[in-house]
Order: sequence, then C-alpha cells, then structure tokens
Amino acid sequence: MNVIKRMVDESLSDCNLEVVLGIGFLDFRLGRTWNFAHFSTAKFAKERYPDLCMRSVVVAGIGKTAFGALADRDLRSLAVEAGEKCLENAHAKNSQVEAFYLGNFAGPSFVGQNHLAPYVAGAMGITGVPATRFEAACASSGAAFYHAVMAVAAGIHDAVLVLGVEKMTSQTTPKVAEILAGAGDSTGEVRAGATFPALFAMIARRHMYQYGTTREMLAAVAVKNHANGAKNPQAHMRKVITMEQALNGKPIADPLTVYDCSLVSDGAAAVLVTTAERAEEFTNKPIRVLGISQISDYVALETKEDITRFDAVRTAARKAYAMAGLEPQHIDFAEVHDCFTIAEIIATEDLGFVEKGMGGRYVLDGKTALNGKRPINTSGGLKAKGHPVGATGVGQICDLVMQMRGEAGERQVDRARTGLAQNLGGSGATAVVTILGVQ
Amino acid sequence: MSGGTIYTETLVHSAPEQFVNEAPYQLIIVTLDGGGKITGRMASNDRVVIGDHVAFDHDRNGTPYFRKS
Repeated sequence: MNVIKRMVDESLSDCNLEVVLGIGFLDFRLGRTWNFAHFSTAKFAKERYPDLCMRSVVVAGIGKTAFGALADRDLRSLAVEAGEKCLENAHAKNSQVEAFYLGNFAGPSFVGQNHLAPYVAGAMGITGVPATRFEAACASSGAAFYHAVMAVAAGIHDAVLVLGVEKMTSQTTPKVAEILAGAGDSTGEVRAGATFPALFAMIARRHMYQYGTTREMLAAVAVKNHANGAKNPQAHMRKVITMEQALNGKPIADPLTVYDCSLVSDGAAAVLVTTAERAEEFTNKPIRVLGISQISDYVALETKEDITRFDAVRTAARKAYAMAGLEPQHIDFAEVHDCFTIAEIIATEDLGFVEKGMGGRYVLDGKTALNGKRPINTSGGLKAKGHPVGATGVGQICDLVMQMRGEAGERQVDRARTGLAQNLGGSGATAVVTILGVQ
Repeated sequence: MSGGTIYTETLVHSAPEQFVNEAPYQLIIVTLDGGGKITGRMASNDRVVIGDHVAFDHDRNGTPYFRKS
C-alpha cells in the first residue's frame, strides 16, 4: 500500500490524468476510497508507471430498437434486437464480448423478471463472462456505460457490451407512476404522494420563482424536441406540436402538463466499448470517450439546498470537462436528460452552456434548435424520442455517435465533432456526464 | 414541528395508484421555522403558493399535513 500511496502522491503533484485515474482505479480495487478531483497534466508518470495508465476508450458499435409502445414485444426480444444490431454494427461476434453490462431500472416490477443480465446475455448466446445489471433509476444504462468505460480503460476487459432496456407499457399509467416513484424516497416524498412529474413540477415552480422562467419557456423545450423527433425514424412520437398546443395540454402536476412530460416507452439500446488500440478490428469510425464521470447525491428532493440545480450534474460535468481537457464552449451539440421540460432547461445551466437562471431564455431564443448555435436533443430527446428509462443513457450515446459519424439523416447537424450526453437518475441522485469526440 | 414557509408546491392531478382517489391534492415542501425542509401535504382544500406560511396540522401514515396560517 505504501508504494501505491507514493505513486498517487507523486501522480497528484505532477502527472498525466490518465495515470492518476489508473492509479485511482487500482487503489479502488485494493479497497481504498479515492478522490479523483485533483490532477494536473505531465508526461513523466506515464513513462514511469506504464502499466497503470488508463487506456483510451472508444465506442466501436451502436444498436437501437425503435422506441415506442410496442405491444407485441417483450423485454428480452427488445434487448436482443439492440444487442445483435450493435454487434453487427461493430462487425463483432458474441464470443468477443468479454463482459456484459445491462442498464435496467425496474424489470422486476414492470415485467416480473429478475436476474436480468444473464437472462438477456444468454438469449444472445453470451455466457461464461461477467454479466451484471446496473440500477440507477433513469441513469441505469448511463451507469453501466460509465463502469464499462472504467473497466476497459483500466485494462480489465478489452470489449464490453453495454445494453439498456426497459419494457414499460404493459402496465397502466397509475401503476407506471407508482413504479417510477420507486426512484424517490419511499419513506418521505413518495409516501406523501409524490410522483416524478410532481417532483419536477415543484422544481419548475421554484425555478420560475427564482429566475422568472415562464410556461412559454418550458413549452419551447417540448416544441423543439417534438420538431426534432419528427425527423427521427426511431422516435416514439414523430409529431410536430405548436406552442399553443404545448401550453394547453392536460394538467399532470401544476405547472407541468402532459406536453412537459417525457413518454412512457418500450425500447433498448446497446454500444460496444473497446480500446482505441483495438478499434480498427471493429469499425473505421470509432468515437472516442474523451471524458466521463458518474456522481451521486441524496435521493429526497427536500434534502437539496437549492432544487433549481442538480449538484451531481454540476460535479460530473466539471470532472468530465477536466478529463477531456475541454470547456463548455467546446461542445458542439448535446443529448440531455429532458425527462421533463424543466430538466432540459436546468441541464443547459448545470452543464455551463448558459448562465444560471437563463436556460429558459436560451431555448426560447432558439439557441438549442437543430439549426441553432448548440443543438440540444437532436434525437427528439426523452420528450419525443421516448424514455424507456433503462435504455435512455445508452440511447443518448448511440444518438451522439450517429451524429458524429454523419449518420443522423434529416436531423444531421453540420458540426458534430465533440458531443456531450447527460443522463439523470431520479430527481438528481445519480448523474452521468459523457463527452465523446471524433478521433 | 410547528410550522414553516412554503419552499415549493404543486397540485398533483395525475396520482400514483395508491392516491388516485385523493387527486387533485397539493404536495408541498416546507422550510421549517426551526430549519430544514420537509415534504408534506395540505390538510384541507386550502391552496398555497411559495412564501405562504403554514402550520403543522396532523400526521397521517408518517406524512405531515399542514394548514394555512
């Protein structure tokens, strides 16, 4: 342990971030907690401790099902379709998968199936590897992706298949609301009658109170994301809506109406994570993971000092930017977690795209539209593309990769060299921020 | 717990399964006079907005109910 400690100390004082993270991971494996917050850049440590260097990680393949209310599809068939499409996209065989990470929020409650990772992996003919389910509410597959990147970066595995899936629409709306509320604090807010729309409605109210955010600003998020979703052949709702419609939706939890809420969807998405070194075995269009961070916070909304920001997102963003050596202004486009319209507004603030409190104005002015300065949720977002919760995090990575490969069809943006994905669990108790770059 | 100020609120129209019969109801987060925040409900059909003062009324199944004060 003293050797490790000395290496960490030396690394902290003068070394390459990749080495610091590598040592941090080794230290973590030895059972010590470790703070990734401090680092500087230099090359000597990389030379001194080559075995401990984090390896460059890429996304080498993507696969997605359509998102929607898919009455004739079960969880396993959706997952297998996404997984097989991903392997095909990466020209990979299932025997090359060294680990299988599954993001799923509530399969046991939605469809009555536990032990989901080997259940899905087995259906793909993948056995004899670590197969593990990650649950972090709506950030479940974001968390699975984060851990896959860590495992590949640290040299534990060379190829990890990360798959997110949720089958939601076989339950009634009140039952779905109840299952989703399981991501909140069951001994406090949920017992009092909170649903997720209600929690984000309370966040919206406070944001309106503190910053003058208006109903029109919330509605502008829905109008924009529906416009983008209409151009996405895999979106759940391919329907353009007007500002007037968005303002006059059925009330769900004031001030949020049905148009402020993301969709209850079925769907699956998968990515193959590997090293930059091995990428050419799989693809001629590898997309590099430049920065990534997963951060936790308290579950109950009432525990947050200020509910108009998500501290886990702000911390994850700061760390991901630092790891990538980038600033918010370097991000060309982003997929953010618009589970509710207010969440997209707050995401643009927490990610540093716009000053605190100005997120509403930012979207209303068209800055985040498909032809805007920084397009956000070009896929249609959770609002129009759909939100099969366990699939959302990996789905966002797929959407970034499609844009960066120039495969986004009608919704292709001109400049997509550096993209960011922000995946949120619950009312902010898990956040995953990922920055991808064209190699 | 005596009372506090409404930190935020929402009127819930679409309720989870176990509360469908009670909708619409107002869910609130109260900044307590003694410090800290707590999630609760309004006890009657009183409607409150951010900044209103409320007093603790009763507890039901571990949830605090408040009334306007």
